[in-house]
Amino acid sequence: MIRRVTGAAAAALLLAGLTACGGGSEEGGAGSATTELTYWMFQDRTPQAGEVVEKIRTDFEKANPGVTVKIVKIPKDDYNTKLGSALAGNTVPDVGILDQPLVSRFAQEGTIKEVPAGTLNEADFWEGALNTNKVGGKLYGFPIDHTAVALFYNKALVPTPPKTWDELKTISAAIHAKDAKVAGIVVPKGDGYGAWMWPGVVGGAGGSMVDEAGKKILFDQPPAVEALQLWVDLLPSSPREITDSDQAFANGLAGMMISGPWDVATIKDQFPDLDFNVAPLPYKTTPAGNIGGENAVVFSKGKNEALAWKWLQHLTNSTNNTTLAQALGGFPVNKVAADRDAATFGEQQQAFLEQLKVAQARPALPQWIQINDEIIAPALESALSGKMTAQESLTDAAGKTRALLGWNS
Amino acid sequence: MASPVVAQRPAETPARPGRRRRPGIGRRDHLIGWLLIAPAMVYFIIFLLYPALAALYYSFTEWDLHSAPIWVGLQNYIDLFFDDVKYPHFWKSVQVTLQYTLVAVPLTLVTALAQALLINSIRRGSNLFRLLLFLPVVTAEAAVGAIWRWLYDPQYGVINAVIGLVGIPRQNWLNTPELVIPALAFIAAWQCGISMIIYLAGLKSIPESIKEAAVIDGASPVQRFFKVIVPMLRPTTFYLVVTGIIAALQVFGLVYVIFSGGGNRSVTGGPEQSGLAYVLHIYLYAFRYNAMGAACAMSFILLVFIMIITFIQFKFMKQEAS
Repeated sequence: MIRRVTGAAAAALLLAGLTACGGGSEEGGAGSATTELTYWMFQDRTPQAGEVVEKIRTDFEKANPGVTVKIVKIPKDDYNTKLGSALAGNTVPDVGILDQPLVSRFAQEGTIKEVPAGTLNEADFWEGALNTNKVGGKLYGFPIDHTAVALFYNKALVPTPPKTWDELKTISAAIHAKDAKVAGIVVPKGDGYGAWMWPGVVGGAGGSMVDEAGKKILFDQPPAVEALQLWVDLLPSSPREITDSDQAFANGLAGMMISGPWDVATIKDQFPDLDFNVAPLPYKTTPAGNIGGENAVVFSKGKNEALAWKWLQHLTNSTNNTTLAQALGGFPVNKVAADRDAATFGEQQQAFLEQLKVAQARPALPQWIQINDEIIAPALESALSGKMTAQESLTDAAGKTRALLGWNS
Repeated sequence: MASPVVAQRPAETPARPGRRRRPGIGRRDHLIGWLLIAPAMVYFIIFLLYPALAALYYSFTEWDLHSAPIWVGLQNYIDLFFDDVKYPHFWKSVQVTLQYTLVAVPLTLVTALAQALLINSIRRGSNLFRLLLFLPVVTAEAAVGAIWRWLYDPQYGVINAVIGLVGIPRQNWLNTPELVIPALAFIAAWQCGISMIIYLAGLKSIPESIKEAAVIDGASPVQRFFKVIVPMLRPTTFYLVVTGIIAALQVFGLVYVIFSGGGNRSVTGGPEQSGLAYVLHIYLYAFRYNAMGAACAMSFILLVFIMIITFIQFKFMKQEAS
């Protein structure tokens, strides 16, 4: 009998414990008198970044009595997964950050709202950054902060940075000729990351990736082939066994590399002795660059639409955009803010500001990430590893992309 | 996603017909029994059974995680197998995973057995070595990635330094397609601690009398190893092969951390997709390309494949000690 009682008690305890684990969710304590706007963003990179965001939030609440902004911060790696689940489960934020490549998909599905006319003055923003929010000519979001890649160079090895492709090749060859243990430049690889940077090089020869309106693939055309050939030509003076080493550039094993502003802070922190600077990407005919960064959109299933647009105006106005962008690790997209505050960015950051002015948005196709990773990246690798010529691999990749998209030319 | 399949052999107790008590429905013990396993059942149903069935349903749909799934029948499965425009690297990921399994599982088992034999043979300090050899298992995966990227570094890597001593030229381990699988398998073998512990338990359970008998019969150490120890360890080896293959077919964390770190943020599976493990491929379609329907279909293909492989092993491998 006693055994039976203890058994039942144990079972009851287990069940109680289980239910206690189950019911843990609680609502954020917003009073019924206020309107609560929910904003999703990436987790802060630094505590200081959190303070900047907090200040911008309280300023907005002061300017809009009766409004509270609930900011939900999510680690960047989990963001898309969380957002996907939220959208499936109807617990959508009113407004939030959206990865650039997802804008076109969400716009076509009606998951996000088109920006109402008069909400955003297009002339206030850099064109490339703004275009990352455009799908079929219509605007679906606000650029918040953006970034681009540029050319890092080791001043000890590269006194004057190259401006053109020919100079780039000459300098790279000279570095490696002088010391066989040092590579000219870290040539990007045929992976998703390399494929993300590559359009900036294609743009440098006056080309682009696709013509979305005309449904034409352009990355098998001469400018793209030349851009890939440039990387192939750089390899002899930049052997992989040197550049594949961890932090090859920062360790002084490579004279140059293409990377983004995040590496400026890392290198300064971990390699304080390295004397380096950053220059805009060398080009063949036209200064150009790629772009990445954060956009924010208003979700169709969310509430408080008018307030949501107002919040995005607040984040991107000339007063707030620089401090916010700096906190988020990018650059202002608001031209007034960018020009006025250029001097507040360090010496090594100026090149990125320049790149943003000429940056081109990536194609607004829902399948673009997949094309980037699964088709273009392997094509770059085929040419870089010498398995195919640049033209062969890009022709092949273009054919595969046409088949995937159902385009004819 | 594929729910982990755990191979378990039911403990076969010989039935005693006459004395077996039938569990009566109305018995109160029975109710308490149900209550006691209820938490586990609730967990099983909510976190394993339901998601698995949901994934099966979604595998017949086109679903991007946020809009309503569209029923497409078997199309995902057909496309995965036959449409290399839509899924250009599906078969590559199958090939990579099979190769990895073929290399990693034997290498892990041999390493684990060797470690277990060594630990079993030393008189003092075996606890210390057991701890040291087990450490790689409890090391955080991100740290494992960082450590091994450094060990394999083409310029500063310790591994190149060591092979350089015997005259083997430097290799660019993680960036040469042909070397990626062996390099990954080597890390897996380094993390063989759990197999080592299980082998150690197996070794301890071999009766001293049998070993002594072999010694008295004049068996050499090599003969004792192959004629006594290996056969006596057969149930252990069987268990480790089955679970090892299941784990290897689902390898993900290792390739993810090895190819995502070092400032390179893309995880497309190493040079020329040479490290594109099957589950990494699933992950990319599920969470990077927003093709959850296809990802679910891939999970089910893997589940069925694992079930078939495991069935074959149970059917044709010798499991009993002899």
